[in-house]
Amino acid sequence: MTEEMVRADNVHKSFGSLEVLKGIDLVVRSGEVCCVLGPSGSGKSTFLRCVNHLEKINAGKIFVDGDLIGYHERGGKLHEMKDSDVAKQRRAIGMVFQRFNLFPHMTTLQNVMEAPCRVKRENKSEVRDRAAALLERVGLGSKIDAYPGMLSGGEQQRVAIARALAMRPKLMLFDEPTSALDPELVGEVLDVMKDLARDGMTMLVVTHEIGFAREVGDNVVFMDGGVVVEQGAPAEIIGNPKHERTKAFLSKVL
Amino acid sequence: MSVPSQTERVRPEAIKAVPVRRPGRWLAIAVIAILVAMFLHLIFTNDQFRWSFIFSSYEPGKRGVMFTEPVLEGLRGTLLLTVTSMVIGVVLGVLIAIMRLSDNWILRTVAFGYTWFFRAVPRLVLCVLFGNLNILWTRIGFGLPFDQQIGKLFGINDLNAQFYSIKATDLLAGFVAGMLALGLSEAAYMAEIVRAGIQSIDPGQAEAATALGLSRGQVLRRVVLPQAMRVIVPPTGNEVIAMVKDTSLVAFVPVTYELFFQLNAIKARTFVVLPVLIAAVIWYLLICTVLMVAQYFVERHFGRGYGTAGRARQRLRAIQAEQGSSAVEGGAT
Repeated sequence: MTEEMVRADNVHKSFGSLEVLKGIDLVVRSGEVCCVLGPSGSGKSTFLRCVNHLEKINAGKIFVDGDLIGYHERGGKLHEMKDSDVAKQRRAIGMVFQRFNLFPHMTTLQNVMEAPCRVKRENKSEVRDRAAALLERVGLGSKIDAYPGMLSGGEQQRVAIARALAMRPKLMLFDEPTSALDPELVGEVLDVMKDLARDGMTMLVVTHEIGFAREVGDNVVFMDGGVVVEQGAPAEIIGNPKHERTKAFLSKVL
Repeated sequence: MSVPSQTERVRPEAIKAVPVRRPGRWLAIAVIAILVAMFLHLIFTNDQFRWSFIFSSYEPGKRGVMFTEPVLEGLRGTLLLTVTSMVIGVVLGVLIAIMRLSDNWILRTVAFGYTWFFRAVPRLVLCVLFGNLNILWTRIGFGLPFDQQIGKLFGINDLNAQFYSIKATDLLAGFVAGMLALGLSEAAYMAEIVRAGIQSIDPGQAEAATALGLSRGQVLRRVVLPQAMRVIVPPTGNEVIAMVKDTSLVAFVPVTYELFFQLNAIKARTFVVLPVLIAAVIWYLLICTVLMVAQYFVERHFGRGYGTAGRARQRLRAIQAEQGSSAVEGGAT
């Protein structure tokens, strides 16, 4: 039953002459929460952005739900995908950003409705009901007509999660979702994420919240310098790290 | 030492201080008042203005110079020319701005070359040039490009593969030439304005939209451009107003269907100089006033989600809703 939702095979990524990812292997099984830890500049955010092809990888392969991301493989040769095909793959992958990136010219409800209405061309009134229900679920049922600029950071991030969920993704990517928040607002966002995890959503979370990783993560990956240093159960990696680098990092953040 | 508690303390009397004297300000106001009085005196007492010539009748049996038929005709021409050349300018400008931001260097270079040329050449020169451009061709049409040359390649002399063509002097003269000169020149400026607008938007916006599965066109149309409009609209308002005034340049194409040309013609015929010029000033002032009001509403439309006014209104509504619901609850219990 534990099929692979994400599979990364020896993924390399360079920006110019700077190699950011130096051979990442990683598997996230369906229904699992995988937390990626590591110091800044370790390549964890870049890796996350490669999973939905916001960044093109230079070598290796990434599969999501069995589909190769960004390329067609025909006769042993890779063909770059058309933009529309990449967009089709991205529909099934929700992403939440560190800086929320809500559309400021739309109300929260319009933010959530935008993709289902424009991309999937679903029935508008149906989408409206679903969007309102999603906003209700993240605790913002009373703010559906507010513009993002009127909301606190925590509220904005919860809208961003609802916006991603509106496309009914099979995988959710979180790129440091609480790093831009005031400490007192972090909890409300983590609560929504925990709720999602309980519902069985497959999640790949780049985070600095060690507590969240320990409590919710099924699997913890520690990255540094563009490689996976170690991975395993949270209790093992956080409670009893093997590598010096992991120990040094955890001693600073705990 | 005991500090008196909040309830014991009496609120002191509100401060009633003598305000600082500002004699410089009063002096400035006095000078301005005198200048305004002099100006009004000039307008109302100097009969060289000949207001009746401007407003009521410039020749026996005719309306004032502002409202006479050829001038109104010219006004229509000016407005039509402004609208058409701005439409060309905005549509082509957006296209060139997008080319300028393309990943492809050929498109980028072409866009750069376009803005380089049309910003460098003065509009007056462009107007004269476009008025004479029909010297280059006898006929202009749609069809197979290089049809003559291709025909020769296959041994056919005078192959004509044009679906539709028109005599160059009929097409590229007068109004059309003026419209193209102004519109193409405007596109170069609009391209820079639109590019600045697009570049002012946080790349995270396009990224979030892309991650949701929106296509490139949708990202631009639904997310980037609506936000860029906040930056694009104010300088575009400038451009429209500048265009109203620049339409007077098409007199050199030559186009006679234009406000200032018509007024000038009356000036030349009647030898009445100043009142005609004042009539022109009043018309341009009126047009630009209307445009500025329009700009205010356009800016308000694209300012959704920004600024304090909208935020305050939203908050007020939230408070009202809260009070409303609590009142209902209070009534129910």
